[in-house]
Formats: sequence, C-alpha cells, structure tokens
Amino acid sequence: MVATTPGAPAVRTRSRRRVDEGVITVGRSRAATIAANTTGIVFSILMLFPIYWVLNTAFKPADEVLALTPTFWPKHPTFDNFLSAVKAPLFLQDMLNGLIITLLAVAGSLVVGFLAALAIARFKFYGRRGIILVILAVQLVPFIALLIPLFLMLQSVSLTNSLIGVSITYLVLILPYTVWTLRGFISGIPRELDEAALIDGCSRGQVFWRIILPLTGPGLVATSVFGFIQAWNEFIIINTLNSPEKQNLMAWLLQNQTTRGTAWGPLMAGAIITSIPVVIFFLIIQRNIATGLTAGAVKG
Amino acid sequence: MPVVESTTRRTGGSTPHRAPGRATRPRRRQTSGLPWLLSLPALLLLAGILGYPLVRMVELSFQNMRLRELISGRPAPWVGLDNYTKVLSDTDFWAVVWRTVAFTVVAVIFTVVVGLGIALLMRRVARGVRLFMIVAMMFVWAMPQLVAAQAFRWITDSDFGVVNYVIDKLPGVDYQNHSWFVNPWQGWSVITTLVVWAGIPFIAITLNAGLTQVPKELVEAATVDGASPWQTLRSITLPILKPLLIIVTTLSVIWDFGLFTQNWVLRDGHPEPQYQTLATYSYTQAFGQSRYSLGSAISVITVLLMLGVMAFYIRQMFKIGEVD
Amino acid sequence: MKRKIVAAAAIAATLLGAAACGSNDDNSPTTSASGAVDGKGKTLKVWLMVDAQSSWKGVVDDASKRFTDATGAQVNVEYQQWANHLTKLDATLAGSDVPDVIELGNTEFPKYVFSQAFAAINPADYENSGTWLQGLKGACDFEGQTYCVPYYAGARVLIYRTDLFKKAGIAAAPKSYDEFLSDADKLQTAQKSDAKFGAVYMPGQYWYAAMSWVKASGGDIAKQDGDKWVGQLSQPSSIAGLQKWVDMVKKYSKADPTKNENDQAGIFAQGEAGMFYGNAWEQGAAEQVKKDPNDPNSPLVDTKVKGKLAAAPMPDVPSFLGGSNLGIPAKSQNKQLAAQWIKAFTDSTSMAGLVKANALPNSTSLLDKAATDNPAIAPAALAAKSSWFTPNAEKWADVEKGNILQTMLTDVLTGKKSVADGAKWADDQMNTTLND
Repeated sequence: MVATTPGAPAVRTRSRRRVDEGVITVGRSRAATIAANTTGIVFSILMLFPIYWVLNTAFKPADEVLALTPTFWPKHPTFDNFLSAVKAPLFLQDMLNGLIITLLAVAGSLVVGFLAALAIARFKFYGRRGIILVILAVQLVPFIALLIPLFLMLQSVSLTNSLIGVSITYLVLILPYTVWTLRGFISGIPRELDEAALIDGCSRGQVFWRIILPLTGPGLVATSVFGFIQAWNEFIIINTLNSPEKQNLMAWLLQNQTTRGTAWGPLMAGAIITSIPVVIFFLIIQRNIATGLTAGAVKG
Repeated sequence: MPVVESTTRRTGGSTPHRAPGRATRPRRRQTSGLPWLLSLPALLLLAGILGYPLVRMVELSFQNMRLRELISGRPAPWVGLDNYTKVLSDTDFWAVVWRTVAFTVVAVIFTVVVGLGIALLMRRVARGVRLFMIVAMMFVWAMPQLVAAQAFRWITDSDFGVVNYVIDKLPGVDYQNHSWFVNPWQGWSVITTLVVWAGIPFIAITLNAGLTQVPKELVEAATVDGASPWQTLRSITLPILKPLLIIVTTLSVIWDFGLFTQNWVLRDGHPEPQYQTLATYSYTQAFGQSRYSLGSAISVITVLLMLGVMAFYIRQMFKIGEVD
Repeated sequence: MKRKIVAAAAIAATLLGAAACGSNDDNSPTTSASGAVDGKGKTLKVWLMVDAQSSWKGVVDDASKRFTDATGAQVNVEYQQWANHLTKLDATLAGSDVPDVIELGNTEFPKYVFSQAFAAINPADYENSGTWLQGLKGACDFEGQTYCVPYYAGARVLIYRTDLFKKAGIAAAPKSYDEFLSDADKLQTAQKSDAKFGAVYMPGQYWYAAMSWVKASGGDIAKQDGDKWVGQLSQPSSIAGLQKWVDMVKKYSKADPTKNENDQAGIFAQGEAGMFYGNAWEQGAAEQVKKDPNDPNSPLVDTKVKGKLAAAPMPDVPSFLGGSNLGIPAKSQNKQLAAQWIKAFTDSTSMAGLVKANALPNSTSLLDKAATDNPAIAPAALAAKSSWFTPNAEKWADVEKGNILQTMLTDVLTGKKSVADGAKWADDQMNTTLND
C-alpha cells in the first residue's frame, strides 16, 4: 500500500532541501558579501542584546544590579538571584501549577482538536464551511474582554480558583489554532493513501490508526509545542481567575514587585527560569519540523 | 507558524498528485453524521467557554453593570445604547482609537519591512552567519511577551537603565536620569521597538522559508539577462512571496491592534492617557473603574473596527481550507 | 439626597435578599465580636496584604493562635500583592466563596463600603475604638454605620542624610518650610561638583506628597457640595500649594517625573540625593536591603547610606495618613468568627507588635506610647497627629486607579501643562469620575 502512491511530502522535502543549500551567489561582489555578513552579525547582536542584559542582570549581586553605573559583566557573578527566585514564596508551586494547567490544556486540545481537524480535512459535509468560519473567527476575539462574563460563568460552577477551570479555558484558547494547524497537516497526507488502504481492506478505524495518526505525528508535536507556549505564557486570565497559590509562573513574575520596588535581580532570574521550557520547546520543534517531515515521508 | 507552514508548501507549487475526483467523491457523500460527531466536542467547548461569554459581553454592553451589581448579583439595569453613545461621543476614546491605529500602521510596516529585509539578507550571508541569525531570532521569538516587556522596562529605566548609560556616553549628550516616557513620542518609540523586535523573528524566519521556494534557476536566469537585484526582487521574488506576505502582514495587524502587555508593563500597570490603546483602555474602564458595561462596549467596538481586517484574514485562510 | 435614598433602598434590598437566601448568620445589621463563638471544624479565610508577611508575620501568627485557642477555628491567611489586587477582589466578591476578612488600603475602602461589599461592625467590640485614627476610620463610615476596622497607619516624614547636612554646615533638621528650602540650597551648593546629585528626591507621580503641599497651603482635592463632589485643585489656595511643590521639585529633584515613589528608598540608597519624603520604614529600607528580597528572614546588607540617615516631620506640611483597614465581606459565611479574629489582630498586644515592626498603631491613644517604645517611628507618630485623608467619596478609588492626579503632576512638571491648566484638567476629570 505504501508503494502504490509516491508520497508528496517526500518530493517536497527533497526539493526544498536542494534549494535551501543553493545560496544565490551569481553576480555578487566580494564587498557586497562582506557587507551582508557584517549586517547579519550586527543585526543578530542587536537582537540578542536585551536577552544578554537579562542574563547579565540575573547573575549580578544586588549591589551591582542597582548601580547607577551599569557594568556589562557581573564583577562577582552569583547564583543568588536564581536561588532567591526559586525559594521565593509560591515560585515552585506556581511552576508546578503552570505545568499541570498547560499539559492538561494541550492534551485536551489535541484530542478534541484532532477529531475536528479530521472532520474538516477529510470529509465534505453540510456545515463544514460554517465550522471553519467559526474556528477562524474565534481566534480573533479579544479574550480580555471576556474576563468578567467568563469569571461569572466559571464561578457559578465552582471552577474559579481551580486548576481545572483555567485548564479548560486555556484548552479553548488554543483549540481554534490546534484545529486549524492539524487540519493543514492532515490534508498534507495524500488522500490516495486512505483510498488505497480502504481498497486493501482496512477499516476506517485502521486507516485512522495506521495511516493518518502516524503521518500527523510531527504535526501533533509542532501543534502541541505551540499550544504549550501559548498556555504557558498566558497571565491575564489566570491572574483574574485564580489566587496566587493557584497561578502560573507568568502571573508570579507579574506580581513579583514588592512594595519596596522591583527586585530586578531575582525578577530577571525568575524570568529566565520561566523562559527555559519555552526556549527548549522552540529548539525541539525546529528539529522536529525538519526531520519529522522526512521521517514521515519515509514511513509513508 | 505551521498555519503559515502549510501556505509555504502551497506557494512552493508542489501539487500533490490527486487521483481524479471520482475515486474520492462517493466516500465523502456517505458520511454525513460522522464529521459532525467528530466536530461536536470542539464545537461544544467553543460554544461554552467562548460563545457564551461573548454573548454576555454584548449583553453587558447594553446594560449598566457596576461594582454594586457585580457584588450583589442583582441584574444590571438595561440602558439601551447609552454606553455606545457615551463612548462614541468621548474625545478621549477617539484619541485612543487613532493612537492604536497609528501605532499599528507604524509597527506593522517596520516589522514587515525589516523582517523581509532580514529574510532576504539570510539568503546572501555565509552559512555560519545565517545560523547565528536564526539562533538569535529563535531566542527572541521564544521569549515570553511578559518577560520581554519587563526586560525592556529594566533596560530603559531612568535611574538604572543601560540605554541611558550608553547614550549618555555619546559626546555632548546628557541622558543621565533621562525618562523615556515623559515625551509620548519617545515612549512610543520604546514600545514600538519592543513590538518590532519581538515580531521580526516570526516574519523573517517565515519569509525565509518562503524564499527557499523561489527557484534558484529563475533568479540566476534573470541576473544573467541583466536584471538588477531590485528588478529581480520586484518581478520574481515578491510575486512568489505575496500570499505569505499577505498572511504575515494581516496577522501582524491583528496582533498589534490588540496591544496590551507591552504598554501595560512598560507603564507599570497604569498606563497614562497618552499610553492607552484600545485593549488597555477597555481593561482600565472595566476593571480599574468598575465600568464593566462601558468596557464591554469598548470591546465590542474594537471587534467591529477589526472586522474588515479579520474578514480579510478569514477569507485568505478560508481559501486554503477549501482548496485542500 | 437622592443618592442617599437610593443607597438606603439598596441596603434594604440587600438585607432582605440576605434573609431570603437563608444566610446562616443572624440578621442583625451589625456583626458582633462579643461573646464566645464556637468555631470548631471551621476555617477562617483571611486576605492580608503582603506587608504583613514581609514585616510582621509574627503578629499575624500570634493573633491567629490566640483566636484559635479561643474559638477552635483554624485560620488560613493568604497574602496579596498590591499590584492588581482590586481586580481579583472584584472577581472574588462577585462569587459566593469569599474570604471572611479582607485588608484594603484605607483609600480603597469607600468604594466597596458604598457598594455594600462589607458587613457593618460594632466599633465598641474593638479595643481603642474610641480613639481610632480618623484618617483610617473615615473610610469605614457610611450612613451612620461602621463597615471596617482600622488596622495600621503610616505617615510620611522627611528622611535626610546627616553626613551631607554636616558637610553643608546644617546643624539640625529644618523647623520650617523656608528652612527646608534653604537647607536644600546649601546641600545643592555643597555637592555642586556632582552632576547626578539632587538635594531632594521627589518622583513626579508621588501624588501623596504633592497633595500634602496642597493641604499645607489650605487647599483641598475635592469636596462634597450637596450630593455632588467638586474638584478643588483649581482653587487659588490649591494652585498655590501645587506651584510650591512644582517649584521645589523642579529646582532640587533629579527624579524621574513619570515614576511613583515605589522604589524611592532603593534609589535614595545610591547616595545621589540629600533628602526624601517617605514612610518611616523607608529609612530602614534605604539603609539596609535584604540580601534575598524574596525571603522574609533574609539577612540584611548595609547600603552606602547606612548610619547616615535621620528622620523628622516635614515642616509645615501635613502628612497624608496612609494605612489599611480590615473588613468582613457581606457574603462571608463566618462573620462572627471573622469579627473575633479582627478583634484579636487589632488589640493592644497586636498593635505593640506592629509598632515594633515600624508601623503606626490604629489609634491616637497608642501613638505617644509607640513613639517612646520605638524611637524609629517617633517622627512619623508626630506627623500622624497632623495628617489629612483623601475625599471620602464612593468613587475616590477610581480617581486613584484612573491616574488622574499622577498624570496631571507629570504634565505639570514636564511643562506640558501649566499648573493652572493641569489643576483645571484634574478637576474636570475628578468631577466626571466622582459623580459618575
């Protein structure tokens, strides 16, 4: 069944890789190349500067952080700020909450979203356009505006100040995006594979388990990572729905301003810790999108 | 990003070999109940968690809900179009609208133009430099909005900020204790820089992916034929990138128009009137001043103002959804 | 008048509503804290602001322990951050599961009292209630009833560098406003080689300070005229006070005109200013910082100005009386227990603990004792005796959250508006907000 249809993804990936390596060099002078490379490096350094400064601040002892003459390197580098952030009230608690909420939301949204994506991508039925319209439109609704009604609603079913309530809200927050993206990945699988499998005697369930699901694997990874990032980074909703011991790290960062001014060192350290999962996931998704597509093609 | 990913692939012109329609059509017809069954959980969740509050928001905008009603749970009185006439006849509100629009235009132009420039640059630099650029942009992209905003707040702090320190080092410039938010032009430059800085990676990396689809032979042929780089860009590269450019631009417009986190954090959670955007204005009215109904009316108006752009975006996406 | 009738009707409606819903509390209009309450198996939920956690957690724990011993009920204290706490409070009060005791800033209380968020209490049940600081108690009063209990106060004082004073040839803290200005001049002259130096550190959005100057000139922020509130900042005496403040800030302060006073102690600790206007505890905050700012038990580290600071009342300028009150939400299921806990937390024992932690007690009768017990807060205790308070209007909190005064001050300081124009603008804004 595999051999009957040449997988389109394979063709696509191969051609892309070839083009990718072919940097256009015709008609370019050496000087222009040097200028381009220099611009690229300067641009990258400028982009990285704020991040460098966050790191620089996080590793400085308190007296160097609040110095009227900033230094570009911590003179006495220290982990104190990180320890301070981790030991701060509720930091670890909120980190755990954030993980639980995010994982619940992403898992739920993947399951629910995959089914809907399957319907949109693989079936033509009355109301399909309507569903697509709804999925696209709700993505654009300003969620902040819905806070009060949302709160009142969750309150009436005792789901405020609970991890479940926020998880469901985040699930819905990332659902439209999940459906839309998975739809793209599912339609990327040639329909001929389904057809061939059905002809070979597979049931529709088997087609789903043995063809569509494995082939959308990389898509599921990519989608869940983006869902994770969205849910992990949210702070306005959770800040209103839940009290500090039921919040996530973003809300913790937002509130980590004491009456005695902002403690910038620990704040920046906390910010780094909070960003680490996001950065890691970004790196994972980079590899998975590239290798995932080729792997999928080979398997298919 | 994968939303765009699928577009990238489409623009690449790789047409999946589709068997003549006849083979697929009969199966599609048979299944009328199943797709609805599959979509049902998603639709129910959307209706419950998004749809219902949305209806309530519109309802609220025709009522007068204040703290007293909120706390007591007594129904808020209906006031018809009062909130809307109040908002629409308020000069402060229109100032906020124009400010939001102006910011969106400037920020989107900067982000897209710089992003496109960087994407083009990435095709010309050495492999190592390109990798460095991608890594740098990945880190920026990965930075949570809130963290980025706090970082910029720290960098531009009037007492301890490194930006003042560096500028002060320039000969003849006194930026000691310079406050970046006294002059709204300067304050908005900081906010715009933050937004553009954070927005470039998405655009540059996406467009770069799109550029890899531009056939190398075509560009080389044009160059051999004596086309200037500008001509090549205009008549070969941009037309191929166009669908992608439209999507990233539309998305940037929608995101920037909803600016909240950046000006909120940089102004320490209480933006002055000259730093209010529609999103913060609505939030401040609703939660700061307990004018929940007025805030709702502003949100409704915001959505209506965005309707054109949103409809355009939906139509673009719809085409993709229909074709596949 | 009309509003009063409406409000009375609304109260009646609430009481009827509460009765109809079968609230398990008795229906007397005030919550009593007298007599024994059996709270076995119950847990009291208390919301305090983060200051209690960072500065006097021991006092909280001690009061809770005495409360538990007396009633058998447990206490669950949640510490809230100032940033954004009202948004969360609104959302929580809208629901049915509310805390039993809530701390709010005294300027924040009127809005909630007017909106019937809190249950009336019986002042006689609480120690020292006859001499509660008016600036705190005023926020609790509505229609002849009292809806909250004063908790603690803070008054602002002049904190100055003794070493720089000596260097500039100044012997003692200024005794009059003119002396304050001439001292600032002398400091400025003595430090004129240092371009970063400002004799006074006064951030531009420090409206408690600016309004103190307004009060000093006999001006006012807003006052009630019949059933309407009228902004008073454009009155000549208010403008004179504002002008005085603006002149002083422009001449002597290097502070950011768009910042508020939140981190002034930390900035002052850098040693680039001669005086600042702050709460009594800010002297300590400037001299020593916690090694780990997130750890309440962290060891302290000396700053550059350690041992070089002293405090005195700001001459000829009445202090704004800041502070907090405690209220029992009308929806609380444990009002009697809540009253008992507040009683323990505001009695003389607890107040003595607060004084030790550099806070001012809730009663004038305790101020003198506080000054002798803890010399560090003596100037503040003195300043508290001549203090003022924000207009007791339902919508006052909206004026604060709307940044009306802050925006006006920045505009005036940066020359965007003249003092008269700024004051006029602020009055217009306040008239709209307060009478909305």
